[in-house]
Amino acid sequence: MKVKIERTALIAGLQMVQNVVSLRSTLPILYNVLIRADKDSLFLTTTDLDMSVRCQVKAEVEKAGATTLPARRLFNIVRELGDSHVELKLEDNNSTSVSCGSSFFKIMGMADEDFPPMPEAGDSAAYRLEQAAFKEMLRKTHYAASTEETRYILNGVLLSFREGKLTMVATDGRRLALVEQEIEFPKEAEADMVLPSKAVNELLHTLGGEGELSIRAEKNRAMFEYNNVAMSTKLIEGSYPNYRQVIPPECEERIAVDRESLLLALRRVSLVTTDKSNATKLTFAKNKLVVTTTTPDVGEARESVPIKYSGKQIAVAFNPEYVMDPLKNLSNDELYFELTDDLSPGVVKCDMPFLYVLMPIRIT
Amino acid sequence: MPIRILSAHVANKIAAGEVVERPASVVKELVENALDAGATRIEVEIVAGGRKLVAVSDNGCGMARDDVLLAIERQATSKIGDVDDIERIRTLGFRGEALPSIASVSRFRMVSSAAADGAGTELRVSGGTVQDVREIGAPQGTRVEVRDLFFNVPARRKFLRTYQTELSHIRMGFMALALSHPRIAMSLSSDGRNVWQLPGGELTDRLRDLFGAEFANRLRPVSFRNGVALSGYAGVPAAARADRSEQFFFINGRAAQAPAIGFALKEAYRGLMPADRYAPVFLFLETDPEQVDVNVHPAKREVRFRQPGPVRDAVIQGIRQALGHPVALGLPSASGPADDPLRNPAASSRPPQPRLTIENLPSARAFSYPANALWTKPASPVVPGESAAPPVSAADVPVAPADGPAAETEAGAPWAWCRVVGQIGDLYVILEIEDGYVVMDPHAAHERVQFERFMNSFLEGKIQTQGLLMPETVALSPKDALLVRRHLSLLRDMGFGMAEFGGDTFVVDALPACFSGASVKDLLGELAGHLEQAGARGGKGRWREEAVAQAACKSAVKARDSLSREEIERLVVDLARTEMPYTCPHGRPTLIHTSFKELHRKFARG
Repeated sequence: MKVKIERTALIAGLQMVQNVVSLRSTLPILYNVLIRADKDSLFLTTTDLDMSVRCQVKAEVEKAGATTLPARRLFNIVRELGDSHVELKLEDNNSTSVSCGSSFFKIMGMADEDFPPMPEAGDSAAYRLEQAAFKEMLRKTHYAASTEETRYILNGVLLSFREGKLTMVATDGRRLALVEQEIEFPKEAEADMVLPSKAVNELLHTLGGEGELSIRAEKNRAMFEYNNVAMSTKLIEGSYPNYRQVIPPECEERIAVDRESLLLALRRVSLVTTDKSNATKLTFAKNKLVVTTTTPDVGEARESVPIKYSGKQIAVAFNPEYVMDPLKNLSNDELYFELTDDLSPGVVKCDMPFLYVLMPIRIT
Repeated sequence: MPIRILSAHVANKIAAGEVVERPASVVKELVENALDAGATRIEVEIVAGGRKLVAVSDNGCGMARDDVLLAIERQATSKIGDVDDIERIRTLGFRGEALPSIASVSRFRMVSSAAADGAGTELRVSGGTVQDVREIGAPQGTRVEVRDLFFNVPARRKFLRTYQTELSHIRMGFMALALSHPRIAMSLSSDGRNVWQLPGGELTDRLRDLFGAEFANRLRPVSFRNGVALSGYAGVPAAARADRSEQFFFINGRAAQAPAIGFALKEAYRGLMPADRYAPVFLFLETDPEQVDVNVHPAKREVRFRQPGPVRDAVIQGIRQALGHPVALGLPSASGPADDPLRNPAASSRPPQPRLTIENLPSARAFSYPANALWTKPASPVVPGESAAPPVSAADVPVAPADGPAAETEAGAPWAWCRVVGQIGDLYVILEIEDGYVVMDPHAAHERVQFERFMNSFLEGKIQTQGLLMPETVALSPKDALLVRRHLSLLRDMGFGMAEFGGDTFVVDALPACFSGASVKDLLGELAGHLEQAGARGGKGRWREEAVAQAACKSAVKARDSLSREEIERLVVDLARTEMPYTCPHGRPTLIHTSFKELHRKFARG
């Protein structure tokens, strides 16, 4: 293998794939990036066995071939190099020379045959949608996923392709975020899949603002293709709980709140809580929302946010993190709180197909 | 075969089998006699692990010629007169068995003088037969020499262990006697070498002489009185070891075991350390002699209490109190003997001066801790004297330490400052503290923090309950279901939204907010298990609540791999605020401390 490649393109490619590289693994080859030169491209692939990412970068290929090199080391070297072009040349004994201007490196690698092959998608149907829209949907739901290992089915985001739309849901059993988007796909392609959180974060990290995304799903894997990247991930197997039944059919009061001012108020009052889960009380009174926290031995804080409201007064306590999460990840100026009383679930909505349900905290 | 009355000689040999088991029992019997004789100085000499020679000399009251002869008769004693005296035994011996038994299985020589004028009696007995009695010049007191033990009982001799084993038994027995009578000067020599030379003094001195100053630093004074008087010292959990060789009980001055005390000790340390570890304890129990039956075992090793209840309570509460003591538990400071906490408990409650403070550290890696209200109570040290004078009365009055103001320092946390060095093995956290380093298990630490936080909010009646979006149903085994059902109202009070769902199934729709991360299924299983264990133990006060809290902590604290520096600091601060930072609620240790002193020693830096 012998290739010449633009340094910035190589950096960008390595950046795309290096998040997947294990920090701890018993298999040494998983620390490496697979480099394959073919035709006019260099293909960089990394995997942690659950998930694989491959990035294609334009290059002048003098001689096709493949090898693996330590991903982090290679990235750190290339980042520091001075010239605009880098030459990679496979020498004997799995070592590769990296030359760039006046710099020369020789890096020990491992044989490419030992690298776990990336599963290729079959000829299953592909869902096609805008990258930006998909990324936005992930951003509005992913934070509600559970991190609790025993409830593995909730450790990811549900992608439900049904009735002409994609519904994305994440929940940890205390709150639930849901977002919908209409897309086109044939009726027989209706399917549900649960995307693990690691894959979700990787997509959030690498999805671009423009272009199309194609998703192919098989029994327990999904393949995402966008720009010059292909990502294959295992899916979480099992049946996702029936999320429809936790959404309250209707609430008694609907209150419009300015997102930014409520978020700032919550941030400030949570400065006196020692424990993240310490309840924050929201009191919706006439034209005024009062946010209070009290922590024994620390102190208390109170903020008031102007609202337009003339219904009955409702005081309800929530875990402040649960309220702030959607506020941080939405971009609408105005949100709507739908509440009934201090024991019933609260709902946050906005002017788009988004819904967030959260359970209150009871203080005895 | 006709039945015959055994001759006195045979009877003595049989009794010897019970009283004199091995050389250590000879030492014990002879030293106890010396103590009963009012000696202030007792010397013990051993040759060849006691097989060749056990000699005990004292400066006690001694015996006149007639008494010397009578002493080796069976059931001859000066210690009790009539049967009622058995109920009120204050002396160590009373059965009148020891000397004749010993004399019947050895070459025995006794020299005793009751008068200060130097006139004494020498008695020689061999295998129970008197060989010689004659006048001899001797200082006041008694010297007993026991040579060639079991020379005429080959069966016994065969069962004697190596010299080293026998010597270690002798040392253990001697240690118990020395501890029970700290005011008596005692010495032990083996094969002409001095093993211990103990001047008479306070118990604190004796503990240090026997075990060393470092060990003494890990003890906390115990003082409790509820009908029985308990005093002495209890070791911090960190000082625990895998056997009971450092557990000593003295009941009315007599080293003894009692089933009730063993139970109580286990209970007192329950939750502070694993069940198979034993903390050192030196407990002196003073009670009405009529309440103790010492006449259970010929060697008086085990006693029974007529009312074990108060004894049990005294041990549990006394130790619990002692461990809540405002001294830097388990983390001995690198102090010299000058500020030995046993002599001056206030000295060690003063935190060592930090060598680095926040100001002169470059980063915020080091931080000091808030004072803990519970630990800043002034010390009320006890100075246990010997058994004859129960020291407990002195304990009710807090002893003002010499440097008064230091007693009420902001001691608080287990260390005055610490620096987070990092995490190893993606698990253990290493902290540098003022006199060494500490390895912390973050899971155990987190459990302890959660446990106390939850119990406190429960006791304050401020439980926060996080509702669940999707109520979960859990089917339990019939046994577990029964336990959960029985405690359902308690669980509801503690913030678990739980109801029966028919059969052995329960539905959970809310959890205490601090455990909202817990898996409901695991939680219910843990709850049943903990309630069952706690129930079987029985107990007082809040055992049910504690069982629930322990179970909840266990299932809520999940094994997170790496922690950020901020998370570690948060945890360290939280842990330092807890009442019992040294163990998780299940008794596993949270911290392991190693002092620079220890490191210096290991690196041979002198």
